[in-house]
Amino acid sequence: MKKRVEVKLSLPVVAPLLDVIRELSSELEKTLAAPQALHDLDQEFRGAWIGELLEGQNGDLRALLALFDGDFFTEGVVAFDETNAEPIVRACTAYRLQLRERRLKSLGDEALETGDIEMEGLDEPVRKAFMCYLFLATIQELIIQHLDSTIIGT
Amino acid sequence: MAESRTHTHADPRAAAEPRLEDAWRVVVLNDPVNLMSYVVMVFKKVLGFDEAKARKHMLEVHEQGRSVVWIGVRETAEAHVFALQQWHLTAVLEPHEETR
Repeated sequence: MKKRVEVKLSLPVVAPLLDVIRELSSELEKTLAAPQALHDLDQEFRGAWIGELLEGQNGDLRALLALFDGDFFTEGVVAFDETNAEPIVRACTAYRLQLRERRLKSLGDEALETGDIEMEGLDEPVRKAFMCYLFLATIQELIIQHLDSTIIGT
Repeated sequence: MAESRTHTHADPRAAAEPRLEDAWRVVVLNDPVNLMSYVVMVFKKVLGFDEAKARKHMLEVHEQGRSVVWIGVRETAEAHVFALQQWHLTAVLEPHEETR
């Protein structure tokens, strides 16, 4: 029997974060979330390499966005199973990398790593971006804790 | 590294396998974003590490800024780098120079 995890989310908390996620999706359409040093590859091979990474990244982002379809806005529930767990975990990382690069630089890497940040002192766009950063980490942790080895297939 | 192979002239496979000086290594670099549990999961999935080995390399990345996770022929090294990059880890390919 397929393992499936359903999570009920708070609509008022999560819905505003989806705007950030959609913006990030547009930014990442033609850009790798983690630019890679590929000095040892010839130019043609490098182009194909990046193209394939980008194609995979876009597929992953689509898998995450698909969680938040019409049903989500009526039930507030998202579900993870063997078909979407891996792409969603990767998508969360892509979004988090982009958030750090484009919206959370001012917080500093050490604060981002420890999570030791006073939310009250943040400007609204940074606060929203940081909430999104934490939300995506929570999704990742949920999938890794509950689905690792059975769904993710390590 | 456990994945690297050292050869002696007595080893009959030696002629068919790459010399160490032709070897390439896969290095994973630290980043401030990826969760420790995520990096462990990716090492297990992509490189086939068990939990203990995956954690050891994850901590090496976290504390020393880099970890050599694989050494061997270029083609396989490239495949590992690509797979690690698909999971958004910063992975690079380097010619293997013995420093030990």
